[in-house]
Amino acid sequence: MTVFNARNWRMASLSTPLLLLLACATTGGEPGAGAAILPPIADPPTRSGAPTVLIAMPNSPNFVEVRRSLVSEVQKSFNVHTVTVAPETTVADLASAIRSVSPVCVVLMNNATMNLYRQYQTANPTAAMPPAVLLMASLVEEVQARLRRATGIAYEVPGVTAFVQLRSVISTPISRVGVVYRPAFRAFVERQKSLADKEHVDLISASVPNDVTAAGLREALHTLATTNKVDAVWMLNDNGLVRDAEFVDEAWRLELNDAKLPLIVGVPNLVEPNSPLGTLAVVPDHEALGLQAANLLFDLSENDWQVETHPVELPLSVKTVVDIKLVRANFGLRPDALKHIDKALE
Amino acid sequence: MVGLSLVHPFPRLQRPLAQTSKPVVHVFLQLDAKSSVVEKTLQQHLPELGIVVFGRFRDFEEGLSNGHPDAVLSIAPVLEQRGKTASLQGQRGGKPTEPYLLASVNQPLEGSLAGKTIGVVDLLGRDGTQAFVNGLLRATDIKIKRVAKIEDLLPLLEFSAADGIVLPSSMLGRLLERTRLAIKTKELPGGPVGLPAVAVLNPTVRDLVVKSFQNLDVPTKRLLGIDSWSVQ
Repeated sequence: MTVFNARNWRMASLSTPLLLLLACATTGGEPGAGAAILPPIADPPTRSGAPTVLIAMPNSPNFVEVRRSLVSEVQKSFNVHTVTVAPETTVADLASAIRSVSPVCVVLMNNATMNLYRQYQTANPTAAMPPAVLLMASLVEEVQARLRRATGIAYEVPGVTAFVQLRSVISTPISRVGVVYRPAFRAFVERQKSLADKEHVDLISASVPNDVTAAGLREALHTLATTNKVDAVWMLNDNGLVRDAEFVDEAWRLELNDAKLPLIVGVPNLVEPNSPLGTLAVVPDHEALGLQAANLLFDLSENDWQVETHPVELPLSVKTVVDIKLVRANFGLRPDALKHIDKALE
Repeated sequence: MVGLSLVHPFPRLQRPLAQTSKPVVHVFLQLDAKSSVVEKTLQQHLPELGIVVFGRFRDFEEGLSNGHPDAVLSIAPVLEQRGKTASLQGQRGGKPTEPYLLASVNQPLEGSLAGKTIGVVDLLGRDGTQAFVNGLLRATDIKIKRVAKIEDLLPLLEFSAADGIVLPSSMLGRLLERTRLAIKTKELPGGPVGLPAVAVLNPTVRDLVVKSFQNLDVPTKRLLGIDSWSVQ
């Protein structure tokens, strides 16, 4: 049975990391980015005659991990020039870097970097733009639409990936999954339905307004659980649905505690056996994302950098965190499940 | 309590024999288990060896260059690419090899594969993996999509990002267990491919390494996808 712990403990354990992680998911920042002190990024030695890929990114751990994997793949074929993007970085800084290395392609990581690049494009409306690969930002498809010559890899883990992972962990059947969304996520949720259908999962969606209250969200979750009879609930990485610990308690925790449904989340901090909420967290595998980005770069280079015809890809690889205690108590743990989980908590 | 740790991108044990006083074995295999699980299991069952399991090709490659292992456990194409010779060959059902399959959705991929996109785990780097798949499919004009882990092949089919995927026959059961897609397969003409084998790089520890692996229990050998060893 789900244990409902003291609220002040939950506040202490959840609030800061949760909010930082959710900021990561929705704005492209990263938990602890401000506090993390990382060494400067060093590029591989430049080789004469090799084309250059310019990478613009924040210098924080997840971005560095993606870059490391990407560079290890492409450094035999391309020179790599990395520009660290910080809050004080200006469009002129980015423009200067682009002018100085004349890249065959730019790799842009996080929404803030993409906003800078968009300003650069706006300031140079007739200039030829290098193709851009967009990584580690929220709703990359929508960013792509606002840029010239861009493609990329979505950062949000597709629902179908999470549902297949949940099926491989718990014994109870999963054929109907509920999701609550605000208007900004409407197109994203719609795209998930056809993908989920391939794995015979009906994704049942419930829309709520931008300013949804905890009570309103709880009501939407209650309808999914009781009227729509979903087998599991999928929580989107949307700050508006997970505003703070109190909001989480009053909407998600209260309803899920009553409904006893598995909850799929997109941040590991919401999987905590001492304060159960998320059953399974499914998060991007950053090292594998670097490999996928490298494959994308090679594909583009072999196709004369025709990014316009290359749709935004979906991320292929994830890591999983599971509350084993919660699974055992409520949903049954599948045989061999532990072999396939990245992090099992109990 | 943390039951299992996330797989480390960097190897945690790269010290040569002199520093650890144990022969160091680097393991690079695509198995039906997370690398962390394989590493923990092998460390428990081979306490006389220093076991480092790599989940990704680039880390394995880097570990091999910088870590100076005393032995390597991997499949034949990986050992051959490095010019290593197996001292101990894994077998299953009396055979040292297994077929590889081309899996696709709804119908098998028949006829010419020209222009098709085929997903495969990155076992040998970009060029090496392309050559490996070309050989398995007996084709040269296919486009490969490399993934980091065996479980990343399924999304390629779910997202229609590949026409087919290449996988060892021993991994088909796990794929079918995970998906509701109508998976169809055909055996690849360029197979079969060698099962996991141990190449001893430091001759002074050969006997210890060989005996240690020979003494593995049945469940651990099964985890490695084999049921016996033959000394080469």
